[in-house]
Amino acid sequence: MSDSYAIFTDNLGKSFGKMKAVRGLDLAVKPGRITGFLGRNGAGKSTTIKMLLGMMRPTTGEGTVLGKRIDCPRESVEMRRRVAYVSEDKRLYGYMTVEQIIAFTGSFFPGWRPEVAENLLGEYELPRKRKIKALSRGMRTKLALLLAFARRPELVILDEPSEGLDPVGIEQLLRAMAVQCAEGTTVFFSSHQIADVERVADDVCMMEKGKLVLRLSLDEMRKSYRQIDAVFPAAPPELNFRVPGILSVRESGRQLSFLASGDTEAIVDRARDLHAVSVDVAPVGLRDLFLEMVKER
Amino acid sequence: MLWYKSWLETRTRFFIALLGISALCLIRVYIGEIDVFTRLPLLRTVEYRTVLDEGHSMLCFLWMMGVILLTMGGLLREKATGAAPFTLALPVGRPRLLGTRIGMCLAEAVVLAIVPWIVMFLTASVFGEAVSLDQAGFLLALLLSGGMVFFGVALLVSSLVEGEYTAPMVSFGVVFAGLMALNSMSLDKYSPMHFASGGGLIDRHTGLVVGPIPWVHAVEWILLTVFLVAISLFAIQCHEF
Amino acid sequence: MFFRLNPATGQPLYLQLMEQIRHATETGALRDGDQLPGIRTLAEQLVVSPNTVVRAYTELEKEGLLELRQGSGAYVTLSSRTRRRTDRIQAARRRLQDLIADLRSEGLSDEEIRRAVEAEILYSAELTGKR
Repeated sequence: MSDSYAIFTDNLGKSFGKMKAVRGLDLAVKPGRITGFLGRNGAGKSTTIKMLLGMMRPTTGEGTVLGKRIDCPRESVEMRRRVAYVSEDKRLYGYMTVEQIIAFTGSFFPGWRPEVAENLLGEYELPRKRKIKALSRGMRTKLALLLAFARRPELVILDEPSEGLDPVGIEQLLRAMAVQCAEGTTVFFSSHQIADVERVADDVCMMEKGKLVLRLSLDEMRKSYRQIDAVFPAAPPELNFRVPGILSVRESGRQLSFLASGDTEAIVDRARDLHAVSVDVAPVGLRDLFLEMVKER
Repeated sequence: MLWYKSWLETRTRFFIALLGISALCLIRVYIGEIDVFTRLPLLRTVEYRTVLDEGHSMLCFLWMMGVILLTMGGLLREKATGAAPFTLALPVGRPRLLGTRIGMCLAEAVVLAIVPWIVMFLTASVFGEAVSLDQAGFLLALLLSGGMVFFGVALLVSSLVEGEYTAPMVSFGVVFAGLMALNSMSLDKYSPMHFASGGGLIDRHTGLVVGPIPWVHAVEWILLTVFLVAISLFAIQCHEF
Repeated sequence: MFFRLNPATGQPLYLQLMEQIRHATETGALRDGDQLPGIRTLAEQLVVSPNTVVRAYTELEKEGLLELRQGSGAYVTLSSRTRRRTDRIQAARRRLQDLIADLRSEGLSDEEIRRAVEAEILYSAELTGKR
């Protein structure tokens, strides 16, 4: 079961004292795809990623990455040979030069591709001989990405990779992710840049308050998620439409606004039955969906 | 390549410590050779022996500080500087990360003891003093066994406290407090510094270390160090980043 | 070939890509035997997931509009049916061009022409929809 996923967790949890950072997380990331990992600050994304990589021990539950158990140090080392990770703050060894850290990192990975490192070095315009402590934040991020992409990983885990990058850098990053995926690498990345996620991701996982609140493919979102606005002649007759697929309802005067998936026709029909004067159906963007999912309830 | 990383990380500190300690040792022996008050060369060999003996005591102290400085590093320091996630994502277990650091520190620590001694030896030879290799070897053996405890303490502290420069500060504090405590309670024979500097083994009249090398005590100090290293390993294994 | 995918519409990206390729064959921008960019190249160019390109290509292969050859990419294969259809569409466009030129010469603005055309299409769609 868990082997058919690149990342799989079952009831994964992490507490710091009384604070539960991650609660009963069931994550499943399909191989060969680009998965965006969304959530507000403090939703538990970084903690989850750190548990996946063996930097933190889960308090409850278990998980596998590329079929290797995350709580077993020996299996974790094997797994890390096939995984690339770029951490949130992308700091590296200040005392090494760009060239030195490339040689250093390359030595750990049998599949290291010097030509990829060389190409990205040119594309990202990184100064070879410069010490890392003298690099700007953007350059450091690019260097960290280079070190991840050149190791021919089966899975890359990127924690907020676009942070600190200018628009050109972000474009280069997204393109590199597409290329990595085309070469068979599974890409799992967290981001606050919803528009970027919407462009490049196949699937999306959303976390809120330590829990997974939504997992879906963007094709599915575009195909079956709709925003339905219905205006009624008087105050809306009832808020509960008793139609499956309604994720949320908002009321504003004589207007009802639904976020729905699946059978939108049924909702439209129901609104018409209730004498709605106008019914508008519009596609739902990832931003709307995200804001809806993380809304205070 | 972990060795390469360890070397790049510590080399500046190492060279500064090596140059500094060697220079101070050279000066100590040089000053001892020419009596500073009378500006006349010393005549009595005994006094000269004392100079070397004092040189060694000073070396022990400086070496201890140097080793604490070299041992600064590792995953908890990287956690403070932000590079720990990168290191931890490498396909290397934590024991190997710590092992490489220990290896590099030990190698540098040994050089840090031997080179200043060679400097003192050569300085003395230039002034035509007879110095015996046996004496130098004896004192070095004391330093590299008793002194190891300081390395063990520094390693343990660096595996327990976070922060860029917190570990050496705490280590200095712990070591000084420990040495002072032992000294004030007249428990000098339990002090690694006392042992390393040849205390109790130096003939007061000749300034020479006498008797056989106390191997049993030396091994005891090394075992204590191994124990401290084992705790450090355990602490690093358990730590969450 | 340039394709433009819009992530904000309610249509999966692979469907958008399929439609644009289909459209390109209808307008003659892509001809029989033409080669489309490889999956990696197109994904990189469009900055989308390669799975989008894969899906569009395989669906179009099922429809018989593309032939995927191992290692060398995707080729447009217009069947005689689609080719006839392409010809018809191109002929229709020529007739439309003539018609629009006529209407313009009669003093109608482009906006008026567009509205008229859209209204006619909607009207006829409604008729067929109610049937």
